[in-house]
Amino acid sequence: MTETGSAGVAVAENAAAAPTRRSFVNWLAVGWLAFAAGVGAFVTTMARFLFPNVLFEPPSSFKAGYPADYQVGEVDERWKEKYQIWVVRNTEMIYALITVCTHLGCIPNWLPAQNKFKCPCHGSGYYRSGINFEGPTPRPLERAAISISPDDGQIFIDKARKFLYEKGQWTDPAAFIKTT
Amino acid sequence: MNGLKSFINWLASPAIAVTLSMLSLVGAMFYKPIWTKKGGLVLFATLVGGFAFSFTDPNFRIVATMPDNVPILGMLFLVGFFFWYAMYQAHLNDARLSVGLPPLEKDDSDKKVFSWPDLVYVELVSLIICSIVLIVWSIVLKAPLEEPANPGAAPNPAKAPWYFLGLQELLVYFDPWMAGVVLPTLIIVGLMAIPYIDTNPRGNGYFSFRERKWEIVMFCFGFIILWVVLIILGTFLRGPNWNFFGPYEYWDPNKLVPLNNVSVSEIFWVKWLKTALPTFWLKRELPGILLVLFYLGALPGLLGKTLFRRFYEKMGMVRFFVGVNLFLIMFAVPIKMYLRWIFNLKYIVNIQEFSFNI
Amino acid sequence: MSLERHWKKIQQQVVETQIWKSIFRVGIPNTNRKRVLAMLGNVVLHLHPVKTRKSGVKMRYTWCAGGMTFFLFLTLTFTGLLLMFYYRPTIEYAYGDMLDLREQVPFGIMREMHRWGAHAMVISVWIHMFRVFMTGSYKPPREFNWNVGVVLLVLTLLLSFTGYLLPWDQLAIWAITVGSNMARATPLAGNEGPFAAQLAVNGVNLVTAGSDARFGLLGGRIVGANALLRFYVLHCVFIPLVAAFLMAVHFWRVRKDGGISGPL
Repeated sequence: MTETGSAGVAVAENAAAAPTRRSFVNWLAVGWLAFAAGVGAFVTTMARFLFPNVLFEPPSSFKAGYPADYQVGEVDERWKEKYQIWVVRNTEMIYALITVCTHLGCIPNWLPAQNKFKCPCHGSGYYRSGINFEGPTPRPLERAAISISPDDGQIFIDKARKFLYEKGQWTDPAAFIKTT
Repeated sequence: MNGLKSFINWLASPAIAVTLSMLSLVGAMFYKPIWTKKGGLVLFATLVGGFAFSFTDPNFRIVATMPDNVPILGMLFLVGFFFWYAMYQAHLNDARLSVGLPPLEKDDSDKKVFSWPDLVYVELVSLIICSIVLIVWSIVLKAPLEEPANPGAAPNPAKAPWYFLGLQELLVYFDPWMAGVVLPTLIIVGLMAIPYIDTNPRGNGYFSFRERKWEIVMFCFGFIILWVVLIILGTFLRGPNWNFFGPYEYWDPNKLVPLNNVSVSEIFWVKWLKTALPTFWLKRELPGILLVLFYLGALPGLLGKTLFRRFYEKMGMVRFFVGVNLFLIMFAVPIKMYLRWIFNLKYIVNIQEFSFNI
Repeated sequence: MSLERHWKKIQQQVVETQIWKSIFRVGIPNTNRKRVLAMLGNVVLHLHPVKTRKSGVKMRYTWCAGGMTFFLFLTLTFTGLLLMFYYRPTIEYAYGDMLDLREQVPFGIMREMHRWGAHAMVISVWIHMFRVFMTGSYKPPREFNWNVGVVLLVLTLLLSFTGYLLPWDQLAIWAITVGSNMARATPLAGNEGPFAAQLAVNGVNLVTAGSDARFGLLGGRIVGANALLRFYVLHCVFIPLVAAFLMAVHFWRVRKDGGISGPL
């Protein structure tokens, strides 16, 4: 027993003087983990670098004239080029469709003869309401927030607030102007 | 003449055109007389004659002479020529191999020549020819430049660069996450996997068809049908509103093509069981999910036990399943295209809740 | 006769100057020894081994498609560099600079050479790949080099794609709109991709149009000024550098894997 005891003491002394194999491996693992964490943090920083905080993009809201400017039963294209918005008026309401195809972002054309929006890039087709019925698009067009501006009675359209049919948001009072 | 043109227009409807090109590609690969000098001349004459005939048609001429379509014409002739040339040499070698002779390349593969001048001069000549062609091409044809960018209006039709038209065509049949992300990734992965899946040691370093029929047919199916033919389709047959037009048809922006989509869940619940669509997504989409699981999960095993038993035994389990799954996914592309053309089927699985549509 | 003698004399004198001898160590490679030295002493020719398999130098076997691709890459680098002297990657100037490159610059075919050369390079890469496949040259020991080649093919297509935006015409902006919108459909990482809407903390989406893969690619929500600048940098610097590095690996491995393939 005394022999093993003295042997144990010897080992302990050894450990104090030079690292054992196990502790060396442990330190190695810690070292590599720290290195990996450092590399990971650096890669994350670089990835974050690609996402700017401030953007200089065109304004997303505008005033679109008075409700009386729009004919019942017409898809109005006057804001299409400038703001990418169709203003549609039917017998009950006015709503603003965003002209960006929900498939891959082209601008569909309004074909009055066929009563549909048709995208030139991949042939997605939408009804006047914005609901998709043909071609590859997975979902309907989006509607923008529309309201009557309280100060001058003009229509105010805000593209930053979008209403999605598949989420049941088209019935939201901010998604249309009641005209009857 | 008009009868012939309308017949060709009819042939060019996508389901017929793709079927014909698949059949003629696979058929031709096994039909030896094409891969001789005579056969090549006949092919070349047919191609040139076809284009010459087509160029008399004003509608075709408009499409074919769009500036960005010029390289496609060059590409068609080059790919066609080299395809023939590779098969021609392969059949020459096959004839030698079948009588016990080594392939042509073997005759001088053991001999070595000095790189200067034998190799360097070949390169110099190719380089000069290439430069001359490029300079003449640049002087004769102006690089296309359209109107300044306008974020408010897209041209009709709006086409991707021609080498991506195959992908753009896929976007019509699959949702963007499949056609734009998953399938391109799988194309790259599949190409990279080729040397590890194909364990056939023969046919290394010389043209040969006999020794690697299966590999060559598969690769050419992917390259010629799913890449080049789709590019032709996208270039010459896709017109305004991304509708299909025959090669001699006027590109009428008001052409009306009814394309009302249906999905598997609608066919199964509404059409067959005559009930409303279930509201819970898992129940609603179960038929489609089962189809996909069967196709990618069960079918490889079944094929390994039956039709592809030989391959399973030769390749081993991992190679076989990776290979067969890649093969099945490649085949899923034409399958889905046919389903769309014939049944207007849009989605096999349609889980809008997670934007997860197949 | 005397003219020829004079000419020979001048030639002799030029070749014997210290300047000439400092550049060209070996004379005309008309002996085997000099042929070896010519290949070894030149950094460009050193790409090739001193001796090559006879079957490998034949056009009927290689079609020179790989060499053509490399040559087109060099042509594109050179013409691209010339175009960079005139082209400014901003929304205001890009399109106008395109017109000027055609109308206001002497020998204004650099853009044509660049564009048509790019198309030609895509075709020659395909043909090279097709040849390598049809001769079974991807088989051992060349598996890894086939993979490097696949990556180079992808880089070639990416180079073409990024270059497509730079003229800032209708073709450009809509091709890139469609192309970059695919990134927004990436599963989990794009705001319209599968399951992306499910990544939310307390009802706030983590992946939105302002933080997804597409935003990172374009530097904005639309194909605008940031996207143009990013694609310009990717096109002119980043992808060519990566491609050049991989080409070096590709050529190196061709040598290390036993040169141009041939029957074993």
